[in-house]
Amino acid sequence: MIEGVWLWVAFALMAMTTVGTRGSFILLGEKGRLPPALQRALRYAPAAALSALVMPDLLIDGGEVSPLNPKFAAGLVVLAVALRWRNPWLPFILGMAVLLAMRKGLGW
Amino acid sequence: MESAFRRGAREGLRDFLPISVGLVPWAMVTGIAMRSIGLTELESLGMNLLVYAGTAQLGALPLIAAGAPLWLIMLTALALNLRFVIFSAAIAPVFHDSSFARRLASSYLLVDGVFAVGVDKLLKAEDPHWRWGYYIAPSAFNWCVWQGCTALGIFGAEFVPRDWSLEFMVTIALMVMVLPMVRTRPMLVAALVGGLGAVLLRGLPLRLGVVAGIALGIAAGFAAEHWQQRGRRS
Repeated sequence: MIEGVWLWVAFALMAMTTVGTRGSFILLGEKGRLPPALQRALRYAPAAALSALVMPDLLIDGGEVSPLNPKFAAGLVVLAVALRWRNPWLPFILGMAVLLAMRKGLGW
Repeated sequence: MESAFRRGAREGLRDFLPISVGLVPWAMVTGIAMRSIGLTELESLGMNLLVYAGTAQLGALPLIAAGAPLWLIMLTALALNLRFVIFSAAIAPVFHDSSFARRLASSYLLVDGVFAVGVDKLLKAEDPHWRWGYYIAPSAFNWCVWQGCTALGIFGAEFVPRDWSLEFMVTIALMVMVLPMVRTRPMLVAALVGGLGAVLLRGLPLRLGVVAGIALGIAAGFAAEHWQQRGRRS
């Protein structure tokens, strides 16, 4: 465990990556224009990034790729609920309910 | 007559509000997670104010708990924040006539949700006052919701049972955000390739698999758009 001053140094270094990445092109201003083709390609970044964070969590169970796990099942429920109803809380409630039911109820 | 800034601010908030709901559990989970590895309330609040990047914070926590070297913690935070370089490049034209102070504030405040919801409208808008309102209002709102709900998690951490798998709410929040984006086929291709790429490349060191997956997804989406257009022409 990192403690004391070094912990705050770690936070400061992490903060630098936050402003450094988010500000990279915004702070450069006019000097940092990207070619239009690259800008068009970058429209795909958010979808690719969010999915790259979600899918490993759903598909990898105990270090192995396996769709037969409670998180994947809960993920399918979240997908179905979010596509079917507009209520913003429902995916959270039903997704967590399925995960907890499988983990606790069925001991998976 | 309402000013352009206020019209922009109101429209930005209205567009962003549905997304911000997903932020609540995510922020609370992050607050609980920081306390659960042994950070004090003050350290957790400080990390949240300074870093202000949920994914990087969550990703760095295991390394902090394990006493990993500082450069590794920084590199991991950098890898998890790298997608913002891409967002920053895409949204930069919006700020080309803004002051340095505004650009600095906009940089610290740039988050996935506001970018995803607003980038198209921002790039099309002509009025700089409207643009500033449309960007800064939901961004500031996001900051307040994030800091407030994380504080709830930090101070409420003791009262939530440990075995509730609350960290899965993070994944649910990310799923709810990606769904409205993948309405077109190239976007769907980008998401599928990005996700599966990150799964298959998870063995890369320093969690670079996520970054590699994102790059693959972008390339695949762009290629799919290209083929779709060519198919229409012939």
